[in-house]
Amino acid sequence: MFRSRSWFGGGLWKPKNPHSLEHLKYLYNVLSKNQTVSENNRGLLVETLRSIAEILIWGDQNDSSVFDFFLEKNMLSFFLRIMKQKCGSYVCVQLLQTLNILFENIRNETSLYYLLSNNHVNSIIVHKFDFSDEEVMAYYISFLKTLSLKLNAHTIHFFYNEVNEHTNDFPLYTEAIKFFNHSEGMVRIAVRTLTLNVYRVEDASMLTFIRDRTAAPYFSNLVWFIGNHIIELDICVRNDADHQSQNRLSDLVAEHLDHLHYLNDILCLNIEDLNKVLSEHLLHKLLVPLYVYSLTRRKDLLCQNQEERKYVSTVVALFLLSQVFLIVPHGPLVRTLAAVILKSNIDIIKNGASQVLKQYEDIISNTTVAFSPPKESLDKSLENLNESSKLENVAEKTVDKDKKNWYSMEKDKSIKSSTYITESNSVKTEFDKVDVANETIEEIKYLSVTDEEKEQRLALENPLTSEATGNTIEQDSLSNKPFLETILNSLYCTENDYAALFALCLLYALANNQGIDPETMDLVLAPLKVSIKNLYNETLINRIIHIITLSCQINAKVRLVTLELATKLLIQLVISENEVLLQDYHLAAVEAAKEQSTTLLRNFYKGEDIFLDMFEDEYSEIQKKPLKVEWLMMDSNILLPPTGTPMTGIEFSKRLPCGEVERARRAIRVFFFIRELSLTLNNEIETQLPLTNPSSCVQVNNVLDLNNSDLIACRVVWKDGQKIKRFLVIDCIQLILVEPDTRKLGWGVAKFVGFLQDIEVAGDKDDSRCLHLTIHKPLSCSTSNRIPLLSAKFIFEDHIRCMAAKQRLTKGRIKARQKKMNQIARLLDIPTATPHCSTPPNYALMGFRNDRMVGRGQRPKDQQRMFTVNKVPGFAAQMRRDSLIKSGTKRLEGSPSVKCQEASIRIRDSSPKMPRPRSEEIPLEDMRLRKSSLTTTPVCVAEHVEVGTLAASSPEEPEILIRKYSEETSFTERQNNETRVSRRKGKVETV
Amino acid sequence: MENRHRRSSLLKYFTDGKFAELSDPTVGVDFFARLIEVKDGTRIKLQLWDTAGQERFRSITKSYYRNSVGALLVYDVCNRTSFEHIPRWMMEARRHIEPHRPVFCLVGCKLDLVMNGCRREVSQEEARAFAEQYGVHHVETSARTGYNVEDAFRTVTQEVYNRIQNGEYKVEDGWDGIKTGFARPGGLDFNLVEAEPTKSSCC
Repeated sequence: MFRSRSWFGGGLWKPKNPHSLEHLKYLYNVLSKNQTVSENNRGLLVETLRSIAEILIWGDQNDSSVFDFFLEKNMLSFFLRIMKQKCGSYVCVQLLQTLNILFENIRNETSLYYLLSNNHVNSIIVHKFDFSDEEVMAYYISFLKTLSLKLNAHTIHFFYNEVNEHTNDFPLYTEAIKFFNHSEGMVRIAVRTLTLNVYRVEDASMLTFIRDRTAAPYFSNLVWFIGNHIIELDICVRNDADHQSQNRLSDLVAEHLDHLHYLNDILCLNIEDLNKVLSEHLLHKLLVPLYVYSLTRRKDLLCQNQEERKYVSTVVALFLLSQVFLIVPHGPLVRTLAAVILKSNIDIIKNGASQVLKQYEDIISNTTVAFSPPKESLDKSLENLNESSKLENVAEKTVDKDKKNWYSMEKDKSIKSSTYITESNSVKTEFDKVDVANETIEEIKYLSVTDEEKEQRLALENPLTSEATGNTIEQDSLSNKPFLETILNSLYCTENDYAALFALCLLYALANNQGIDPETMDLVLAPLKVSIKNLYNETLINRIIHIITLSCQINAKVRLVTLELATKLLIQLVISENEVLLQDYHLAAVEAAKEQSTTLLRNFYKGEDIFLDMFEDEYSEIQKKPLKVEWLMMDSNILLPPTGTPMTGIEFSKRLPCGEVERARRAIRVFFFIRELSLTLNNEIETQLPLTNPSSCVQVNNVLDLNNSDLIACRVVWKDGQKIKRFLVIDCIQLILVEPDTRKLGWGVAKFVGFLQDIEVAGDKDDSRCLHLTIHKPLSCSTSNRIPLLSAKFIFEDHIRCMAAKQRLTKGRIKARQKKMNQIARLLDIPTATPHCSTPPNYALMGFRNDRMVGRGQRPKDQQRMFTVNKVPGFAAQMRRDSLIKSGTKRLEGSPSVKCQEASIRIRDSSPKMPRPRSEEIPLEDMRLRKSSLTTTPVCVAEHVEVGTLAASSPEEPEILIRKYSEETSFTERQNNETRVSRRKGKVETV
Repeated sequence: MENRHRRSSLLKYFTDGKFAELSDPTVGVDFFARLIEVKDGTRIKLQLWDTAGQERFRSITKSYYRNSVGALLVYDVCNRTSFEHIPRWMMEARRHIEPHRPVFCLVGCKLDLVMNGCRREVSQEEARAFAEQYGVHHVETSARTGYNVEDAFRTVTQEVYNRIQNGEYKVEDGWDGIKTGFARPGGLDFNLVEAEPTKSSCC
């Protein structure tokens, strides 16, 4: 340090301490000696620039003299000078990065002001870098973005110069927005960030500048850019019937969402003047001409030159409009847009496109309504900025017009409200006339439904017609409102529900948009709060219910997502302040649909295990993932025509079912949706679902009174070799491993619980005291990994206890499942074989008797089947027989063959290992749940026929023990878990 | 703002080593690009965009995520809260990067503080277990010493490259997450965002 200072007065040699004024002086020297960039000094320059930033940041926090020196020597000008030589990207990139790091890390306000004060930064901003080099581009835009993060009411004046009229007044902003449509996504995002950072600075004169000089060109170009994206998106949808470019489409959809969120972010800053200009551009140049006009193809409308008019398909238009209403709540914009869609009639539209907006707008409107390219490119408009005087005039004019328009809007409002009632009436009338007469009947013919159903449907429509013909007002009717007409007609699912889904989405989005006034919406959607009872748009409700009815058909073309949305929307529309406004005939239609969905599901009801699993799985799926329309509208897949094949990767609910299993799953979900709808409309609470009441289950760490319970001592050996001593308790739905409670004799702490319905038991070849037990996770908590809840070896004291446990488990599984199957049967109004008896032993017994008739040779297999727990147990055959009687059953594909396989495997591995024949009888089921019943629902007292026999009892003379006892099987009663004490009466370890 | 500096320091450490010897760990960079050579010799350009400071606008973070292929989830080993926020960040990144499956790297930073006697609030085992559960990489770094910083970026790059190799990622039109390089045919670019784990402040 000493050396460098004394001999060379500020450093020709690099000082040892990189963080010192001396070092900066040295670097200054380097810079001044290398003002011309050459091949030779590039490396040195880059290193110097890098070091400068480092010292400055250090100085910013530690030594103010560093900054003083930097400013005194005007070192930023070196930067500029270097930049102005065509020095190549290597140096440029480092330069930009240095600046970037510098500005990002300066904490000291004063230092920042110093850096900005001499206008060098603005000169750097306007410098024409080689933007074709993507790295230079990226660093440049990051630099601008970093600067924008430093903007505030004070610093803005370094960037925005209101005095100087002859330069670009606000280069940071105007240079940046030139890249708004850059091919690189990240660059575009940086530009958007920057603009938002600029807008949020509260500086009136800057904002005036933005509005008057840049807003129109920027927004018109932006809107044109967005519009072109839309057209690309539309082309992608049209050309992709085969779902080949899903990724491309999803990117385009995401891009549109990005645009909307960006626009919404601007609008949310609540800069009134700016919002006006932006809304105007959006409405006049994009939303109305491209989105809304695409809803109709009527040639006689829209006087614009038809050939030139660009439009997108109806589906895409509905989809995009839904997105708009879901994302943007800015009142003036969405109100106008909603009014255009819902109220425009032919007369208004015929008067010329611009008239459409004039009718409803509270914003300036001296631009034509058309989706057309901006008059000039943004670059050009920004160059012309200097001719300020001209523009100033225009701005003044617009303000004038603005005022005028506002008055006319006010006037318009009063007219609107007076004509309201007539309008709503006529909408209804016209609908009923046209549709019911033609389309519906036509449609009903199309559908392959039973006569009964047809009648039902016609009945559903008929009262309407008679009612409606009473007061017909021709004017201003639905066919007169082409946009609304399209939306409502889209609700028909004649061929598929492609457009219907989007129409529902749009209606939902309209109904839920915070910015739209209820007055506009009342016309179409919301029930009137004050007026007469049952006022809602009947036609709309008719069509929604129609979708619901349709989805209960076999081979219905309505996707689950459409049904779910339809029910959601219906509930929203007809429930006002907890009161259901739905008229009786509509309610009846919903009930009819419920009946029909029950019938549909009944066809799939069978005893096979998979049905129960599916039933519970679908239930939990629905509960876990309720429909979120916002998310649905982000999924580009729904833009493609509905398909059935899962190979597209499209979610089940968003496509049609493929194969019998999926048809069953679909029927189950349809049942759930409509059941819930019906319950909601009837103000009832679900009492029967889910099948397992979680509050009635034993949880881990519960302390249980096990006096008089059957306990089987065992050692549990996990896969990793861990061994633990536990007592096995088998409840009616759960398997519980307990550890004795140290504080209370006869009590135990639950250490593990699993559902009996999910267990798999297998014997051990080598050790007759062992059982291999696997307990699967309930499907209802299906995480992606299907690791079993427990998979372990259980070692019992001896063979007999082992066999007892096996039998108990096996039977427990069957019973637990049977119990649930009966619950389902009750839900589906299927009478169970013996009414009031919901227990499996009937089937087991029947199965057993049945077996006796079969030849002896098959006995081992069949017996085994009765008690061996497997995924597809044999007793299902009995169940099937039962259900076959009730309805023409369809079999799940593949299941018979699977069963055969299972059976043969079972023979193979079980028969040679048949334990010694025994004729002892083991009283296995003597468990009784004695509980004080706190039930609200009646307790089902079951006549329990018990078959107690060893699985491998002697084939010669099987002893059948039949025992009767009663059991409480209600699931709903055990609400209070803590106090719950399962007392099981019986023998402990009876052998 | 405070916090933003610390987090970004991880980033600056990787900018071509140009700042490698800078001893002030509070220096931030919100963007960098650099070439990384993966195992088979292919050179990949990694671009890293920091989302910090832009949280205010919903549209912006969303967009950044969408154009990225992965994210570094950075927490402070001496700040439990920052670690607890990781799942949320992960979900957010995952949601926005969909349908593509993002590459994550869980980065515990400020390891140097532990070495200087600061109390560690997130153990290595815990973080590792978390990473394993979600199938993501995990490294602990120190921007001050540069320890493992290179590693963090290299791991992610290699993983991205592997996924390109096995066909999971396709270089496709319209997604800016990965694209073929302009300069050198055969080269690949990809974007990464750095997700900020916490708003808390500490030393």
